[in-house]
Amino acid sequence: MIALNSENRAAIAARHPEIFRPSWRRRSMIVTGLGAAVGVFVFGIVQLDIPLNRLSDGIFMLGGFLRLMLPPDPGSWALALTCLHALGETLSIAFLGTLGGALLAFPASLLAARNVVANRIIHFLARRSLDTVRGVDTLIWALIWVGVVGLGPFAGILALVCSDFGTFGKLFSEAIEAADKKPVEGIQAAGGNHLHGVRFGLLPQVIPILLSQVLYYFESNTRSATIIGIVGAGGIGLQLAEQIRVLEWQKVSFLILLILVAVSAIDWMSSRLRFAIIGRRAIA
Amino acid sequence: MRAAIPELPQARLRELTDHYASAVAEKRRQLWLGSALLVGAVLAAGWMGDVDPWKFSENFWRFPAYFANMVPKFSFTSAWADLSEWFWGLPRWTRLLGDTLLIAYVGTLSGAIGGFVLCFLASANLVRSRTIVFLTRRALEFCRTVPEIVFALIFVLAFGLGPLPGVLALAIHTMGALGKQFAEVVENIDSKPIEGVAASGGSWLQIVRFGAVPQVLSNFASYALLRFEYNVRGAAVMGFVGAGGIGQDLIEAVRKFYFTDVSAILLLIVATIMIIDFITERVRHHLIGLQGAGT
Amino acid sequence: MLVVEGLTCRFGTKAAVDDVSFSVAPGSFVGVIGRSGAGKSTLLRMINRLADPSEGRILFDGVDITALRGRELRQWRARSAMIFQQFNLVGRLDVLTNVLMGRLATVPVWRSLVQLWPEADKAVAMSALEQFDMAQIAAQRADQLSGGQQQRVAIARALVQEPDIILADEPIASLDPRNTRIVMDALLRINKHFGITVVCNLHSLDLARSYCDRLIGMAAGRVAFDGAPAALTEHIARELYDLEANEVIGGAPVKAPDAAAIPALGSVAA
Ligand SMILES: Nc1ncnc2c1ncn2[C@@H]1O[C@H](COP(=O)(O)OP(=O)(O)O)[C@@H](O)[C@H]1O
Ligand SMILES: [Mg+2]
Repeated sequence: MIALNSENRAAIAARHPEIFRPSWRRRSMIVTGLGAAVGVFVFGIVQLDIPLNRLSDGIFMLGGFLRLMLPPDPGSWALALTCLHALGETLSIAFLGTLGGALLAFPASLLAARNVVANRIIHFLARRSLDTVRGVDTLIWALIWVGVVGLGPFAGILALVCSDFGTFGKLFSEAIEAADKKPVEGIQAAGGNHLHGVRFGLLPQVIPILLSQVLYYFESNTRSATIIGIVGAGGIGLQLAEQIRVLEWQKVSFLILLILVAVSAIDWMSSRLRFAIIGRRAIA
Repeated sequence: MRAAIPELPQARLRELTDHYASAVAEKRRQLWLGSALLVGAVLAAGWMGDVDPWKFSENFWRFPAYFANMVPKFSFTSAWADLSEWFWGLPRWTRLLGDTLLIAYVGTLSGAIGGFVLCFLASANLVRSRTIVFLTRRALEFCRTVPEIVFALIFVLAFGLGPLPGVLALAIHTMGALGKQFAEVVENIDSKPIEGVAASGGSWLQIVRFGAVPQVLSNFASYALLRFEYNVRGAAVMGFVGAGGIGQDLIEAVRKFYFTDVSAILLLIVATIMIIDFITERVRHHLIGLQGAGT
Repeated sequence: MLVVEGLTCRFGTKAAVDDVSFSVAPGSFVGVIGRSGAGKSTLLRMINRLADPSEGRILFDGVDITALRGRELRQWRARSAMIFQQFNLVGRLDVLTNVLMGRLATVPVWRSLVQLWPEADKAVAMSALEQFDMAQIAAQRADQLSGGQQQRVAIARALVQEPDIILADEPIASLDPRNTRIVMDALLRINKHFGITVVCNLHSLDLARSYCDRLIGMAAGRVAFDGAPAALTEHIARELYDLEANEVIGGAPVKAPDAAAIPALGSVAA
């Protein structure tokens, strides 16, 4: 019924040329965008001198490693205990690092929030210093702290404190800036000063959000804490790097399994707590 | 001041304040319990993590000293010469930084493509088979949970030293992280367009292409950019395990106590990361403002 | 000829549609009425196979629809065009692309995925839009249109599917009175001029009386009435709607447009 003969079709095409003339502008924009993305990708592969021919050999070798990894096995009870102890260290590092970072970041984030400190210079300086701290990876901080307090988990804790200071400082200040300003106005209208406004109008709103962000990062920090051992800052990473270096694949897979279990457990716990705090699934 | 509030009889006042006190008592008890738990956990973790305040205070001077060591000798009379001595390795370091960015880019793009493909299989509102959803989810979670540097450690053995293991490690980790985030976005989309396309006779691919993708694309792009930011940081330390980029030079400088080199490289890394963050943040705000003007 | 035999759909233990049987002759305009929760939507969704029947069969021209899988199922969905209460357009896509969704079952998959639609399909889609005076807004995003416009886009999408039967699930429930008129008239014209069978869920009894040749009344998942609108007495209607009765009956009766007076589609004002 709606089938058109060629005459009708031509008539429709003539009436709506913009639909039937392929829109070269739009299409060329898409093609250019995709071309640029692919171009940079190819340039990257060439520039990085990535040996694509090694890909298949490497994957074959990986398959071999994978076969050797099964089943996961610590080899001896003694090593299993050492691993568990290292895991405990990792969890401690993550916990204290997150806590310390959050405690230090809180005052800094107040300085960096526009609605708390109106002074533009302080605001700018606070922001840039937080960005600088954040620009240095946890692993680099670990490297530095190993130089200061020596090998061991303590260096790892300090490293996480530093990198979380930057991350939380930024997140917190953004959350504070996003807070509803009506309660603050209410308190100031009742005769409170600026500090009263912050204390009673702002903080009660944002504290649950900040807590939920801290809990959310606890999980990702557990993952960071598993690897700082690679540079000697304690935790399970040291064991892992060691076992990989000596090609003890079953022990490697045992350690990876431990990490998976620990991170999942922390993830589960932190999302339960977050749910309890703010009553719904939080997006950090 | 005029008193518009009448004074309460003592008995009534006592009754009301008692009621208030008992109402907040429960809350306060919970707070105390929570604090006690927290302190317990801190002590346990402190013992486990070898925290030694004494050692810390004794050694803390080393921290500023470390940074003081990193400051190069610098005088305004010979500023240019000092600067060029400090950044003596600039050509090599910029090349390595470029490599780092490329590693992050190639890894993020490949990972994002993988995550894009897998996220639809991990979304219960698009796939009927519980088994497929479950398996895809677990696979994505595995890739996300294992830190990228652990993948890199293993890949270095399989693929040899160089950027290739770094790229692959970032790609796999990104695939897991983005795939999971993407799947969460897909599970929250409006189901009406999906039904509309299905009711017109669209196949699964067509339903995904026309019912789901237009709804999620801008969100996906924003998440991918965020991941790129994160991956630049990750790529900067890939060199620690021999997987390419600037990390190699950094760890060498740290190990050999070339303090001014460390500060020069760190400054370069931080500056690069700040620039990248600035650009991607701009683009993301633009994307959010755009909210996917069709596809 | 659409034949429904003993059709049942359960959600958990609750039967949303319970042992429903009827047949619909080609070219008829059937209204399905009943209060909300009676199972009207579930019935239509089962016919289009958006919902899976727990028991019973659906036959169309002798073919068992309930047994279709894969490509054949998709082709059946194209032949039984669905119109939704909430329009179910893809808001982020433009109007033309939304109408072209009606061609998905016939266009080669790769062409559709990269949006290289064949000229012939674009022409059909534009022609359908012209019939509803919407060719001018073909490039607009669907979520920027009014409800009435969106429902007309949805009808255009249904039309380009070249369906044998149109299943409309309360198509006017989200529309104002003027757009209600426009949409119902469009369905009626599609039915009378092209001879496409229409099965339409309606909440309003007056509308059902004026537009349909036949009414099927549902209550608690079962068929409680099946016959000509004239045979639906006030008494039966009150039983069908129970507490909602006064709300659906008793409004000013809608004048049924007789076939000759149905406005041509093109004359509908935007
Ligand atoms: N997907 C579903 N899951 C569970 N129950 C449903 C679902 N769809 C419909 N129902 C139930 O089936 C019954 C009939 O619903 P429906 O077909 O939408 O009725 P109507 O369209 O006549 O208002 C209702 O009680 C509804 O709650
Ligand atoms: Mg309904």
